[in-house]
Amino acid sequence: MADDEQSGASSDLAASIADTEGGTGCGTKGDARGDVLMADAEGDLGGTPIADTEGDSSAADGEKGGIGLDDGRQGGASFASGGRRESREDAVGSVRDGDADVRNARIWLQLDKLRPPKLVEPRKRKKKDRHARTRVAFFRYSYYDIAFKYFVEQVLDADFVSLPEPTKRTLERGTLNSNDFVCAPFKHILGDFIDALESGADVIVQFAGPCRLGYYGELQESILRDMGYEFEMLNFATLTGKPLADYIGVCKKKVNPDLSVPHGVRGMLAVFKMIECLDEANDYYLANAGFEVEAGSFDRALSAYHGAMRAAVTERDIADAQRNGLEAMKALPTAKPVDPVRVGIVGEYFTAADATSNLGVERKLLTMGVELHRMLNMTNRNLRYNEKNLRAGISDYVKFDMGPTSSMTIAAAKRYVDEGFDGVVHLKSSGCTPEIDCVPVLQRISREASVPMLFLSYDSQTSDTGLDTRLEAFYDMIARRKKVLL
Amino acid sequence: MTEAYLGIDTGSISTKGVVIDEDRTIVARSYLWTEGNPMQAARRVIEDLGSQIDHGAVQVQAVGTTGSARRLVGAMTDAAVVKNEITTHAVGTTYLHPDVRTIFEIGGQDSKIICVEGGIAVDYAMNTLCAAGTGAFLSSQAHRLGLEVEQFGDIALASKRPANIAARCTVFAESDLVHKIQMGYSREDIVAGLCKAVASNYLNNVGKGKKVAAPVVFQGGVSKNAGVVRAFEDALGMEVLVDADGHLMGAFGAALLAADAAPTAATKPFDFDVAEFEFKTREIECGKCTNHCEIICVYRDGEIIDAWGNRCEKGAVKTAR
Repeated sequence: MADDEQSGASSDLAASIADTEGGTGCGTKGDARGDVLMADAEGDLGGTPIADTEGDSSAADGEKGGIGLDDGRQGGASFASGGRRESREDAVGSVRDGDADVRNARIWLQLDKLRPPKLVEPRKRKKKDRHARTRVAFFRYSYYDIAFKYFVEQVLDADFVSLPEPTKRTLERGTLNSNDFVCAPFKHILGDFIDALESGADVIVQFAGPCRLGYYGELQESILRDMGYEFEMLNFATLTGKPLADYIGVCKKKVNPDLSVPHGVRGMLAVFKMIECLDEANDYYLANAGFEVEAGSFDRALSAYHGAMRAAVTERDIADAQRNGLEAMKALPTAKPVDPVRVGIVGEYFTAADATSNLGVERKLLTMGVELHRMLNMTNRNLRYNEKNLRAGISDYVKFDMGPTSSMTIAAAKRYVDEGFDGVVHLKSSGCTPEIDCVPVLQRISREASVPMLFLSYDSQTSDTGLDTRLEAFYDMIARRKKVLL
Repeated sequence: MTEAYLGIDTGSISTKGVVIDEDRTIVARSYLWTEGNPMQAARRVIEDLGSQIDHGAVQVQAVGTTGSARRLVGAMTDAAVVKNEITTHAVGTTYLHPDVRTIFEIGGQDSKIICVEGGIAVDYAMNTLCAAGTGAFLSSQAHRLGLEVEQFGDIALASKRPANIAARCTVFAESDLVHKIQMGYSREDIVAGLCKAVASNYLNNVGKGKKVAAPVVFQGGVSKNAGVVRAFEDALGMEVLVDADGHLMGAFGAALLAADAAPTAATKPFDFDVAEFEFKTREIECGKCTNHCEIICVYRDGEIIDAWGNRCEKGAVKTAR
C-alpha cells in the first residue's frame, strides 16, 4: 500500500502528466474573466487542426508537404513538366471539392493550404426583424442566472429567456445528443440549451471554460444545428484575448445592433458587483443554514433574496437587495454550537458549484447540521482569481498550474485542513482530467493532516441513493471523530 | 424478561440478521439470500430469528436496519435506527475488536475500506462505479467454472502457483480466465488466481491512497473465502483476521446502534409479527411538476406506511405514521 514516499511519487507523477498536457490538453492559464478558449487536443474532438491558424497551416504545409501523395512542389521528381503539374493541380482541385471526409483527412495530415474545417458550416441566415428585441438565453449554472439575466437586460439590452428548474428530461436529452465520453457538464449544458431553444430563444450564450468546456460552445452549436434548431450562438470563448471592440462587435452583430457601449460597460461593472454579492450571500447561507432553528427558514430567505436580486435594475437596487437579504438571513435564529462540524467543498468548476449537477450535495450536508465552506465560486475563480498567489500557498505540493481549477482545489483543501476543518468533500464530473490529477495530491494532504476526504464523481446519474450512503457515512465518521478524538 | 435488540442488514445478495441481548452478545443469527426481493428476505430472516429465541424470556425493544434496502426494511419493521452500512460495520467491528486499525469489507456488490484510530473510524472509501472484484464477480466466475462459490476457498488453498488474472475489469478478467483455462492451467491455480485478483483489485482501487495498518479485520461475504484471505495476507505481509460472525457485522452494528438509541415514546417493542402482515411497494410517478419524480410507496396490508423519492414538498405523500 502507498506509504508517504510512494504517494509523494505518485503525486509527482500526476503533476508531470499534467505538465505534458499543459500545453495542449485541459491544463490552462487562468483568465480574469473566465471565458477562456482552451484548444483541446484530445483526438476524439479533433482539436489540433482547428487550433491552427492559417499561418501555421501554410508553414506546416511547406515542411510536411513531402509526405503527401499529391504535392507537386516537393514530391517533385515525377512531375517535372509544367503542363503535367497543372493537370495535377486540377486533380487536387477536384479532390478539394469532393466530400468532406476526404477534405478533412487531407487537412488533418496538413497536406495543403486549406483553412481548418469549420465545425459549423456557414449558412444563410434568416432575415430577422431589425426592430424586434432579441431573446437571449444562458445555460443553467447554480444561482448565476440572476447575473446572466442582468447582463442580458442591462448590458445587451435584450430579453432574457428565463429557464424553469431543470427536469429529468433536460438531462435525458442532453445525454442523448452528446458523446458518451464527454463530461457531465457538457450534457447538462446541452440539455439546458435545448430547453432554452424550445422556450423561444434566438440567441444562446456560451462562455464556460477554464478547461475543455471552453471548446464546447462550438460543438454544442454544431450538435444543435444538426438537430434542426435555428439560432445564433454568442460564444465568448471564441473572443478570448481579443480587444473589447471585438466583444462589442459580436454582441452588436448577434444580439442588438443598437447596443449602447457606455451603458453596457456600466452594466458590466454592475454584473461583476452582483456576482460578488450573490457569492457573499451564498457563503453566509452555506456556513449557517445547517443550524437553522426552523426547518426551511434559510431556504426561504435565500430564495426571497434571489427574487429581489433578480428584480434589481440599478446599482442601488443591487446594494439594497444585498443589504436586506443579508440582514434577513442574519436575523434568522440558529442553534450553532461553539465548535460545529465544518466541511469544505472543493472540486471542478461546474459540478462543485451547481446543485443540479451534484445532486444537491450541499443541501444534504446542511440537513445533517454541517457548516459548509466553498472557495470555488465565480467571484474567487473568475473575478478575483490569481493563480500565482494561490499556487504560492501550495508550493509544497504543486510546481506549476495543472489546469482550470486544480490550483484552487488544492489551495482550498489545504486551507480547510490548516484551519482545522473536520472533512473535505471533493466533487468532479467523471473523467475530469485536471481534477483527477488533484486526487493524489489531496490524498497526500489528507494523510499528512489526518483530515478525511470524500471523493465523489458524477456522471448523468439521477439516483442519489449511493450518494446518501456515502455522505451519511462520511458525516457519521467525522462527527463521531470530532466528539471522541478532538 | 430481558431486553434484546434486532439488527437487519439487507444487502444486494444476502440478508443478515442478529438479535443481541442486554450484554451485547449475539443470541440469534440468520443469513439468507436476498434473491432480488428484500422485503421477502427480511421477512424470512425475522421469522428465522424469531424461531431461535424464547419469546417468554426475551423482548426485542428496538430494531436497527442497514444495507442497501435499509429504508424499505426500516419502514417494514418500524425501525428505531436506519443507518448506512459503512457506519454499522465500523460500529460492530470496533465493538468486537477495539484495537482494530483497518477494516476490509467485501460484499456482494460493493466493497469498502475503513481506517480506524483509537476505536473511531477516521477515514473510509467505497468502490465507486464498478462491481469487479466483489462477491458477485466471484459468483459469476464460479458458475463459469462449474463450481459453487463456497468451494473456492479450499480449492484456492491447494494451489502452489496462482495464475495471473487481470481483475481491473470483469470483462478483462473473464477473457483472461477463459484464455488461461484453454491454455491448460489447473483449476486450483485458476481459482487461486481469481482470489488473488480480487485482493489486488481491492487494494489498487478501494484501498488506493489509504494506509493499511495492522490489525486488519476482513469481513463481508467474501471474507468466508479462505483463498482471498490468503491473497490479502500475501499482498500485505500481515495477518488478516476473519471473525466467525464477520458476515453479520453490519447487522450487529445496526443492533448495537438500536440498543444505544434513546427510547422514545414512539418506539414500541418489536414482536416479530411483521411476518403476518402483507407488505407491498408501488412506484408512482409524481405529476405535480415537470420533473416527474418516481415515488416509492410502502403499504402494510393495503395501508400506506411510508413513501420516499420526491424532491420537493409537492410530491409528499401522506402516510399513516
